[in-house]
Amino acid sequence: MNAAHTREVVRRVLGHRGALLSVLYLGLMILASLLVGWALPLDPLDQDYVNMLKGPSAAHWFGTDELGRDVLARVVYGARTSLVTAAGAVAIAAAVGVPIGMVAGYYGGWRDAVLMRLVDVLLSLPGILFAMAMIAVLGRSQVAALVAVGITGVPTFARITRAQVLSLRQRDFVTAVEALGGSAAYNMFRTVLPNAWSPILVQVVILSSMAILIEASLAFLGLGIPPPTPSWGEMLRTGKSYLHDSPTYAIFPGLVLTFTILSLDTLGRTLARVLEDRHEAAEPAPEGARP
Amino acid sequence: MIGYILRRLAQLLPVLLIASIGIWGMIYAVPGDPVAVIVGENATPEQVQAVRERLGLDRPVHAQYLAWLGNALQGDLGLSIQNREPVRDLIAQRIPATVQLGLAATVVGLLLGVPVAVLSALRPGSWIDRSLSGWSALALGVPTFWLGILLILLFAVHLRWLPAASTYVSFLESPGQAVANLLLPALTLGVYVSGIFARFLRASLLGELRADYVRTARSKGLRERDVVGRHVMRNALLPFVTIVGLMMANFIGGTVVTESVFTYPGLGRLLIQAIGTRDYPLIQGCILFILVVFVLINLLVDVLYAYIDPRINYD
Repeated sequence: MNAAHTREVVRRVLGHRGALLSVLYLGLMILASLLVGWALPLDPLDQDYVNMLKGPSAAHWFGTDELGRDVLARVVYGARTSLVTAAGAVAIAAAVGVPIGMVAGYYGGWRDAVLMRLVDVLLSLPGILFAMAMIAVLGRSQVAALVAVGITGVPTFARITRAQVLSLRQRDFVTAVEALGGSAAYNMFRTVLPNAWSPILVQVVILSSMAILIEASLAFLGLGIPPPTPSWGEMLRTGKSYLHDSPTYAIFPGLVLTFTILSLDTLGRTLARVLEDRHEAAEPAPEGARP
Repeated sequence: MIGYILRRLAQLLPVLLIASIGIWGMIYAVPGDPVAVIVGENATPEQVQAVRERLGLDRPVHAQYLAWLGNALQGDLGLSIQNREPVRDLIAQRIPATVQLGLAATVVGLLLGVPVAVLSALRPGSWIDRSLSGWSALALGVPTFWLGILLILLFAVHLRWLPAASTYVSFLESPGQAVANLLLPALTLGVYVSGIFARFLRASLLGELRADYVRTARSKGLRERDVVGRHVMRNALLPFVTIVGLMMANFIGGTVVTESVFTYPGLGRLLIQAIGTRDYPLIQGCILFILVVFVLINLLVDVLYAYIDPRINYD
């Protein structure tokens, strides 16, 4: 994909109103989570014992929690936790899943059978339960959360990549590289992969929303990153205990979480549609076809 | 047909074996002595000795695994650390509650999802279709636990119509009490399920509505209601069976979370409590049980699909 194509895809994705709103929302959140701590005057740990479990006010837009901490500050720091977990987990999933799918699809035969059975094992439990089992072994930590959530995304990347490789494997530009003596590794990563990236990119976006949801679910179940790291799931877990005292405590973190998931989902589905259209409209010349 | 089932079973066998090795290996992966992991901190010397014999730590690793697997296959999943009861009994006690919640949520999902799908498929692109598609996106995007909290806020805290925490009451024994306890959890999980139902059924209906037999049925003067009700629905419902399979993964996961929101005494909550108290035999038992059920349901769905759709060649 060259720069002109990238611009075209970006232009068409942003032409979709829902996707534009999603990008704006996600951008705002990323910006806030980057600026908080030095440019945004929000402290997630500052305790105000006079104002505990208060509703929204001018001083605390999202109200305060059971220790009088600012809920907005904790939501913004929670965004950081969610985004870091999503990015890390998706990176882990792609780093493990894409090579598996690549090798399975490229070589076929016994490698395909063995690797795909291993992927099936990951699918033999619902993702959240697999993550819970991982936490049961690893204990609660930032790394455990990353690994547990990341593993659940491996099957998707492996399958998508494998399907792409299978459809590209017999194309002339791939067999040409083979005939010219390009190594298997070169062919896989320099010839096939650059032409297989669009469904993988779509999955990166969609799995980010899955990762955020699973991380929040784990935290809500009390199995996420241990306190005092602010996390939306953990806030909802605590907020649920104070529904009578402060209903807004459990509303705002959930609202932000839901918007994040919906935004990523909308963005992913729009991207999928745009990329599909592009492929149908004109099959671009394959890249990396020169050994 | 029997050959097909056997072949699918043969494919599943390695998956189940590897997964079972993973579950068995959990206690060895946890830092510390596996015996201590299994008996817990407050064990008597007799209990330690019993577990030592049970694990057979003096034997080779593969023999230890086979002994564990043999016991598990006979339904012996060991003793819970927390209360020294057989894991099998603890799991068995929770099954009715989870099954009842699952059925109730499916009913809610169908009641909400099917009308949404039919209405939007009949007028594709209309404002009805667009707003109903929005419903599906929302139903799938709102985290189950947050929706549960919102429902508790409205119906338990604000209106005080329903209990915030649900207990298990058998529907057969006391239907009124059961419904009062199930309504919020079933709605929470059912809304999510309706999103899946609606999205897939709409796609499947749209595909069928373009088929030639629909044009034939219309051109011979059938009323639209009959075209959809008698012809299209039947065909569109076929792939619906696979959705049930696709749904199971999210469904079981959703059940675990929903049970936690409403402190509902089902299997998912048992597992969460087990992880919280590091009760490894119970964790292993729960996960193994859920895994086997999940895999078998997926197999059943595949077989059922091949059975009801004569176009699928299963030889």
